Amino acid sequence: MPFRAEPKSDRVVSDQTADRRAPVSHFLLAIAFGSIATIAVSLVVAATNPEDFWLAAGIGALCAAYPAFALGARIFVTNNTITRDARGDASVELTWMRQAAAGAFLDVLLTTIVLAVALMVLRLDVDALVVLLVLIGLSAADAVLRYLAIRHRALK
Amino acid sequence: MKNNLAERRLERDWTQADLAKALGVSRQTVISIERERFDPSLPLAFLIAQTFSCAIEDIFTAGVAA
Repeated sequence: MPFRAEPKSDRVVSDQTADRRAPVSHFLLAIAFGSIATIAVSLVVAATNPEDFWLAAGIGALCAAYPAFALGARIFVTNNTITRDARGDASVELTWMRQAAAGAFLDVLLTTIVLAVALMVLRLDVDALVVLLVLIGLSAADAVLRYLAIRHRALK
Repeated sequence: MKNNLAERRLERDWTQADLAKALGVSRQTVISIERERFDPSLPLAFLIAQTFSCAIEDIFTAGVAA
């Protein structure tokens, strides 16, 4: 038998990683990393659009903030707090993520088709940057909402 | 698929977290399997059967989950 649990009838159920904590310094390093990476990306975007420096810097920061801070957390924090499941590929979360991603893809595809048809019929000109930013936001929000809905439905 | 995983787990006085740790999956995976809302992969089903020292068909049976 690879595992033998001790009888503990009144134990509070907890995740196997719940008692792991990262030092405060690692959180500070993650925040510093995220801030520096975000500022760097926003400066690069702003430098390529000097006529709208602050607008470009803001858009660059908005786009870079989430992945930069997530990467910082991944490098400095979660290495101390999360243990990779030995068979994570068999876990239900992977199925939920695939379902959410597939649904979000179809949503974005359908939205793009409908918008393209509408723009052609109405003969409207829309800035490509705006369209791309909307698609990024839509796909991310759609995938997250779908994942939460699938998870809620499965666990309720 | 229907299953009696919860009954077998409780017979051993294991928590869902204990079983998840033994199987190397998340606790949500065990919860979803017990509620018959997630059919495990074949390797995971074999591992579950091995963990409880029985055959797969002793735990999982054909049928539409509730």
